[in-house]
Amino acid sequence: MAASKTEFKAEPNLTPLLDVVFQLITFFMLVINFSSDNYDKNVKLPVADSARPIDDPTDARVDRLVLNIDRDGRLLEAGEAQPLHKAMQTLKRQADFVKFSLKVAGGKPDAGGGLPTIIVLRVDRDADFQALNSMIKACQANGFRKFAFKAMSGPS
Amino acid sequence: MVHHHKKRSRKAESPDIPVAPMLDMAFQLLTFFVLTYRAAPIEGQFLMNLLPAQPVTEAAEAPSDKPSDNLPTTQRTLPTVLRAGAGGVLAQITVGEQSVPLESRALEKELDKYLQDPNLPFDQTLIKVDPKLKYGELMRVINAFSNAFVSAKKPPKLSFDEWVPGEGE
Repeated sequence: MAASKTEFKAEPNLTPLLDVVFQLITFFMLVINFSSDNYDKNVKLPVADSARPIDDPTDARVDRLVLNIDRDGRLLEAGEAQPLHKAMQTLKRQADFVKFSLKVAGGKPDAGGGLPTIIVLRVDRDADFQALNSMIKACQANGFRKFAFKAMSGPS
Repeated sequence: MVHHHKKRSRKAESPDIPVAPMLDMAFQLLTFFVLTYRAAPIEGQFLMNLLPAQPVTEAAEAPSDKPSDNLPTTQRTLPTVLRAGAGGVLAQITVGEQSVPLESRALEKELDKYLQDPNLPFDQTLIKVDPKLKYGELMRVINAFSNAFVSAKKPPKLSFDEWVPGEGE
């Protein structure tokens, strides 16, 4: 009787299943995006079909500063809306940091005297132009010249 | 008898690796990655070089040898005014001196007339924007201009400034 019991013992081959699971893990490890912290979900971007995708968002040679601006025109920092004077302080601090980094690295500003950092503007579609313009002017006053206006790619 | 003994010894030598714990761990890892996975939004961008406080700003492109480049910047700039209506929606677009349609495709067709005409020197535009205009509406116009520049095989040179009410009326 004991011998007949061992004959019916099921031992499924788990190795192929493990292979598939490891492949799935590899896939998710490669596509996982931990660097999306700069992208505030509260900002609803407009849609523009001719907005070009970023060449290489992970390119370390291109310095980017992402500014999220909510529908009331306030700068969002870690999800918190900043009053205007604090937003200006943040921009100045960032500009000082870029200038210091350039000095340490022996780099020079661009031909027009602007800083090489690209200001990535993620502005809510319901924000007024006035708020956006005041932010742009504040950036320009601190030496930033390059701007990237974000929009969702797709049919508008 | 000898043959039977050989079979037994082979069986004893084969290692028995338990795969189930490894599978458990793999499933836990898989669950973690599935739960933390967030599809990256498909975002595009419009790159612009905006210089501070001057009549006309332009993208810092390499200068070309086209004859229109000899003209002063003001003559090569297509002036555009965007006025906002109630709720910050686009109420009027004026290109040059003329009012143009608000609908995106119709606007693009109208812009093609300015940018594809070889007798006109326009290779950039300065958009004066009503301070109350919503960013989404502005982006719609920027998108139309960008498409029109691409159709005219010209590098998109866009810049904007705040429209002062009463200006250009």
